Amino acid sequence: MRKLLLFCSLLVMLAGGAYAQSRVISGTVSDDKSQPLPGVTVFVLETKKATVTDIYGKFTIEAATGQTLRFSYVGYQPVLLKVKNESKNLNIIFKESANDLNEVVVTGYTSEKKKDLTGAVTVVNVNDIKDVPEGNAIKALQGRVPGMTVYADGSPNGAVTVRLRGTTTLNDNDPLYIIDGIPTQRGLQEINQDDIESIQVLRDASAATIYGSRAAAGVIIITTKKGKAGTQRIDFDASTSLQYYNSKLQPLDAQQHGQAYWQAQVNDDEFGPDAGSPIDPSVSNGIYTYNWNHNYTNPVLYNVNIPEYIDAAHTMKAANTNWFNEISQTSVLQNYALTVSSGTENSHSLFSIGYYDDIGIIKQTGDTKYNARYNTDYSFFKGRLKIGETLSATYMKDPVLPTSSITLLSLIENPIIPVHTVDGGWGGPVAGMDDRDNPVRLIDDNQQNVNAFGRVFGNAYADFEIISNLHFKTTYAGDFAGNYYRWLQLPYVAGFLSNPATYAGQSTDYEVTETWQNQLTYDLTIKKNVFNFLAGEENIKDKYQNFNAQGQGLALANIDYAYLSEATSNILAAGGGSSDALLSYFGKINYAYNDKYLASVTLRRDGSSKFGADNRYAYFPAASVGWRLSEEDFVKNNAPVISDLKLRFGWGQTGNQNIANNATYSLYQSIYGNAAPFSGDSGTAYDINGTGSGTLLSGFTAIQTGNPKLKWETTTQSDLGVDFGLFNNKFTGSIDAYYKNTTNILISPPYLAVLGEGGNEYYNGASMVDRGLEASLGYGGKIAHDLTININGNVSGYKNKVTYLPSAVLTGYPGNGTTETVLGRSINSEYGYVVQGIFTSAAEVQNSAAQPGKGLGRIRYEDLNGDGVINADDQKFLGTSDPNFTYGLNTSLAYKNFSLTFFFQGVQGGLVYNSYKYLTDFTSLAPGSNWGTRVLDAWTPQNSKSTIPALTLIDANNEGRYSSYFLEPGSYLKLRNIQLAYNLKSIFKKIKIQRASVYIQASNLLTFKSSLYTGPDPENPSNAYPIPVISTIGLNLSL
Amino acid sequence: MPILFRLYQPSVLICHYKNSKTMKNLKYIMAFMLCIITASCKKYLDTTPQGVISSADLTSASNTDAMVIAAYSKLGEDYYYYPYAGMWAYGSLRSGDAYKGGGGPGDVMEYNEYETFSLNNNTNTSSDQVWYQLYVGVARANTALTLVEGQSLANYPQKMEREGELRFLRGHFYFLLKILFNHIPWIDETLQKSQANYGAVSNVALTSDQLWTNIANDFKFAAANLPVTQTQVGRATKGAAQAYLAKTLLYQAYKQDDKNDVTSIDQTLLAQVNSNCDSVINSDKYTLDADFADNFLPQDGNSSESVFSIQYSKNDGTPLGRVDFGHCLDYPMNVQYGCCGFHVPSDNLVNSFKTDANGLPEFTTFNDTDVVATGNYQTDTFDPRLDHTAAIPGHPYKYQTGLIYDASWARDPQTYGPLLSMKETVAYTDPSFTRFEPFMSSSKDWEVIRYADVLLMKAEALIQTGQEQAALPLINMVRQRAMNSTALLVQANGKPTSNYHMDIYRPGVNCTWTNAYAWQALMFERRLEFAMEGYRFFDLVRWGIAADYLNSYFAVEKTRTPHLAGAVFTKNRDEYLPISQNQLNFSKGVYKQNPGW
Repeated sequence: MRKLLLFCSLLVMLAGGAYAQSRVISGTVSDDKSQPLPGVTVFVLETKKATVTDIYGKFTIEAATGQTLRFSYVGYQPVLLKVKNESKNLNIIFKESANDLNEVVVTGYTSEKKKDLTGAVTVVNVNDIKDVPEGNAIKALQGRVPGMTVYADGSPNGAVTVRLRGTTTLNDNDPLYIIDGIPTQRGLQEINQDDIESIQVLRDASAATIYGSRAAAGVIIITTKKGKAGTQRIDFDASTSLQYYNSKLQPLDAQQHGQAYWQAQVNDDEFGPDAGSPIDPSVSNGIYTYNWNHNYTNPVLYNVNIPEYIDAAHTMKAANTNWFNEISQTSVLQNYALTVSSGTENSHSLFSIGYYDDIGIIKQTGDTKYNARYNTDYSFFKGRLKIGETLSATYMKDPVLPTSSITLLSLIENPIIPVHTVDGGWGGPVAGMDDRDNPVRLIDDNQQNVNAFGRVFGNAYADFEIISNLHFKTTYAGDFAGNYYRWLQLPYVAGFLSNPATYAGQSTDYEVTETWQNQLTYDLTIKKNVFNFLAGEENIKDKYQNFNAQGQGLALANIDYAYLSEATSNILAAGGGSSDALLSYFGKINYAYNDKYLASVTLRRDGSSKFGADNRYAYFPAASVGWRLSEEDFVKNNAPVISDLKLRFGWGQTGNQNIANNATYSLYQSIYGNAAPFSGDSGTAYDINGTGSGTLLSGFTAIQTGNPKLKWETTTQSDLGVDFGLFNNKFTGSIDAYYKNTTNILISPPYLAVLGEGGNEYYNGASMVDRGLEASLGYGGKIAHDLTININGNVSGYKNKVTYLPSAVLTGYPGNGTTETVLGRSINSEYGYVVQGIFTSAAEVQNSAAQPGKGLGRIRYEDLNGDGVINADDQKFLGTSDPNFTYGLNTSLAYKNFSLTFFFQGVQGGLVYNSYKYLTDFTSLAPGSNWGTRVLDAWTPQNSKSTIPALTLIDANNEGRYSSYFLEPGSYLKLRNIQLAYNLKSIFKKIKIQRASVYIQASNLLTFKSSLYTGPDPENPSNAYPIPVISTIGLNLSL
Repeated sequence: MPILFRLYQPSVLICHYKNSKTMKNLKYIMAFMLCIITASCKKYLDTTPQGVISSADLTSASNTDAMVIAAYSKLGEDYYYYPYAGMWAYGSLRSGDAYKGGGGPGDVMEYNEYETFSLNNNTNTSSDQVWYQLYVGVARANTALTLVEGQSLANYPQKMEREGELRFLRGHFYFLLKILFNHIPWIDETLQKSQANYGAVSNVALTSDQLWTNIANDFKFAAANLPVTQTQVGRATKGAAQAYLAKTLLYQAYKQDDKNDVTSIDQTLLAQVNSNCDSVINSDKYTLDADFADNFLPQDGNSSESVFSIQYSKNDGTPLGRVDFGHCLDYPMNVQYGCCGFHVPSDNLVNSFKTDANGLPEFTTFNDTDVVATGNYQTDTFDPRLDHTAAIPGHPYKYQTGLIYDASWARDPQTYGPLLSMKETVAYTDPSFTRFEPFMSSSKDWEVIRYADVLLMKAEALIQTGQEQAALPLINMVRQRAMNSTALLVQANGKPTSNYHMDIYRPGVNCTWTNAYAWQALMFERRLEFAMEGYRFFDLVRWGIAADYLNSYFAVEKTRTPHLAGAVFTKNRDEYLPISQNQLNFSKGVYKQNPGW
């Protein structure tokens, strides 16, 4: 991280002679990007003469040799300069720094300086995440933006969910991404992380309203790198990482599994469901046999006997397989990026290529990504016309494996099953086990199925200065993305599971989004009044089509053979498509008076094809004001420690239109047949001829009821913020409080069943409120001669509340749908039974409320309504999964050529539903599966202190019900990143090198969690792809 | 690409700038921009829905006919979570004939709630699903009826026949709703479809008896307008409508009060049951299949015993085939099959196949000893239908002498014992067998009403009207066929699979055929003949004996299997499923909950 630094360089032009008296001195003030800085105050200390620079950054002032000029500009320390004899035409350059208030922030169609912002905007320090090898820049932002939460598992290409300021709507809560000015709803998985110049997050409505109907969940603006004037540069970044998991469940081994089985049977016989008719636990589930003392009151297991073979045919030798070890691996991740750029006064260009190869920690998973980017711009007519383009191409290859099945199976597959049979076939379940497939087989038999993804995304623009400060810009962007996926399903036998059929299939799709933007901007300065005007128009059209087909009866089970033409039977084809369009007009006026008083007004009008003719258009207004108190004399004079202080308030409305494209129409579809193994058929084909096969007659299915009155859902948000800098901006920070009210939320609620198919209808019908606080604080400074430190932290929290839902749909949300509902509570509320503990004595069982299935060692549920019966009425709201607050802390230390950075991120509060507990605490909820080691510590009359219910094979007490037993504290603190870098520049002094450093880095190295959380990782509570530890060594080089 | 783009390309603007350096020309440029920015682009947002059709496009004769097929299609669209074709979850699991099976009580817990009754509740999502799915059937029939009624006879000569078919289908869906939920909203094609119109119809707007009359009227219309024979065998026929009408009237005849207690039996309706059964019998179109097995073998679909069957198919252009998804969990856990061991015959049911020395059922003593516990099927004697119905360790599975059923093929034998159901399954080598991992099923047709049912419905009507003598030959026809059905029940060595000994009722020889005895015989015969076919529970409710019968069953059966430990049938409540809380909520108070819930 760069230290806070003001830098002045002086270029002295030779002057004619020496004058002792005052004379006219002229010059130019510009920033380090050679952009002229207007409004810089130039002051002669001795004579008190003053002037300001004009819009070209030029000034003239009278001064004599030996006098001192002070250049001051908001956000910078003043620059003092002694007038020398030769001083005549001065060139003052303010160098940019990290906490630079003059940093240019892209805020939507235009850009503003940070000091002028009146909205809640977070500028991500891209340098902090540059070397984090996540493959998706958004993943690396976890904890770095106040109010933003990123949900992702450890999969190389898995879905990433981003939430800004809590839950805004019941629909799509994904933020809108703006990449080089073009809106897109694709995330950043496909963007080369090294191409990113800046990331800005528009958190509040006053900033986001300019994006109107799609901005309710926030806006993330990405700008890619461009060539810089006067430079020629080659950047090369390389890194290699090793990935491994350290968060894993502890499944039982074969012996332990047998032991748990025995204990469950003994319990069932002694005080459980089999008490009336004991089943001798000398043998269990046909595999294990036991030597034990046959004393039920004090049972002792001498020995679990495991047979040599687990199947009658003697093809599977009893094993002790650790399935997770079998499916996982330590893997390598590589990332290379080469960027060449150059710039002159009239043209800039940048070309980059990137290669990213992530071999997953689950075998055969991975993501290989090739990126190329070409950004150029050219200026004509003395800079009045600028024509440019950005173009990126991405090609990704990803093996398509059922990873969630594989990771789950690795926990529940019986350890006694061998990976392979004695003759090299696949091991699999035998009698007494669940129908769970061998996860190693799933990996092996699917590894040939690779999805290829290609995307070309770019824009071309022309920016034309009609008269001074009046610009017209037109931009055309195209986004072409497509998938091609060809797959082969191999025949197999694994235990009693088998399928002799060979299938081949392929699917392709493509999506084209065309965007055309036109905008006028005008900057006007009248004395101390600065106006920026923007008026614009935008057309967006999106079209999506897909095709897929499959066939059976292939002669060879080989991916190189498995094309559809080789299929000989059951050839099926399907395809579909959708399209939608948006037409928008927008305008914005920014106003600043004397850098002190700031105001901004925005209006956007959006039309969407998704809405009914009556409500096609909507207006989205916003207004915000700012007051730079630090420019006031009473602050300057009385509180000199305050280097910057700004109060701001913003209000605005944004929308959400993310629903099905045709929601306003009542429609039928020709669905021939659509059954899947886990869902029934809703097609219309019928074998009316009774022939049993062949083409069938079919009809049409109603798919929806149209609502021509549909309109946007609207989020109205207010934000009160303060930005501050202390001690010459050594300390900087900001605090925001917001209130967000979303109304007319688009819902397609479950409906009265008598309507039949197509009774589903979208309408505007729910409201939700979020309120929150966000704070960030930074410190940067030198603490010793060569030691600088930078600390940046942020903390944020929010409360969500559902304020309105139609009564008819309340059953679809937590609560009982009538007396206890989610209204007035967070949408993420948890509702269920309260676990009081377990029954530990016969008297307790006898004296408690009537509870079907109660018994010794069983869970005791609380009789909340005190009616003496445990039933559905004994449920209540147990809490919410919303955390109290989330936080991040980034610390950088630089000492000479070394720099050390570590980043902690955490979540405090909130409940997590730990579904692992089904496996770790119960033998009855998945009786044919493997379980976790916690079952070995379950309650027995002899182990009476345990809080884990007694083992049983029959869940008579319905203990899988939604209860507080499964809700655990979700707090965690993670060391997300730690990096040690060494700057090699001193070594390469002789060579002309701009930057050279090597680093080692680790991600997700440490996790701290509540001792009450019994799973491996509260961040990733479901049976998802584990988040790996990534240790990296890398090199950055710039020539 | 927007049209505007072609008109006002940026290059045009550049040219203008080149040629005009005065402020005057600037006006044009400004006008251009204004034009772009404010251009009326109404059409830009008119995107056409892709790949769909509007209701206006359905009114052609061919599309109307297609919508009739769509209504038929719903017959076989059940799924293991709402098996309304095979009805096993509703009629078998709740009848004392079967256990849920599968991987313990938590595996499809909703059915454990059904089986134990005490755990059942109004948030059981399977109940909500089956309600919805059956109303989808009603809605498809109503939609097609509206279209058919809108056609002229000239343009659509099959109009009356199709109307008959659709009312038959609607009658079928309503019949199922009625026996499951009792109080249901009646919606027909005369009510224009809208949220408001449909939402105003209460489930208690009509009495139970009025609902039966409406259902009967649909079948009456169908019987009057349908041909005796259809060239497309999947379509409903006159005989099917008459048989279903008889079935409806039979249920209607047992009058229930508002606490579900049977208070009287309507003799007039029973006479109509009798006459409608006669119409079917006298049509000479139907006979009992020679072998009981023929009803449960795929090659004999649409046989002469089939009065109305649901047509399934495979290799038909749909992704998985339109197969019997409702029974897809009912196959063994072995390498030939692989999933999921649901629908397990109870010990009580297996014991009921025992015969006495005369070859007759042991009405009262059959359950005193448990043959399942002993596993010995040679000492006692049995009705051959046992080995058509239940998969038993050591016996050939589904008539395959090379595939001996093993106790290890059961999913969770410690909870549910070693047995499985067989009527719905097929041999894994059969062409109708199909896999869709992790499940499997077949395209074997499923008989909703078979001729044996017509015979026994008539016998029931006769006995209840004091004509037990006339009922005797009907019951004996069914028994005689069962007696004859041993050809396939042999082991690899050619010996009979179990020790079969069975006879017809011979008054004065092996029994005394009084009305009371005949009633016992009829009730028992229905159980043996239709075991595991999904309607047993509804017989018990119709006869008004469900509470006593099931609580006696639980008293003994819970000592044999741990999962029934808490099972209790609550009289005046459990005769019907509760109306789902969802539907009560959606109806905003228009629907009323069933008694007792």
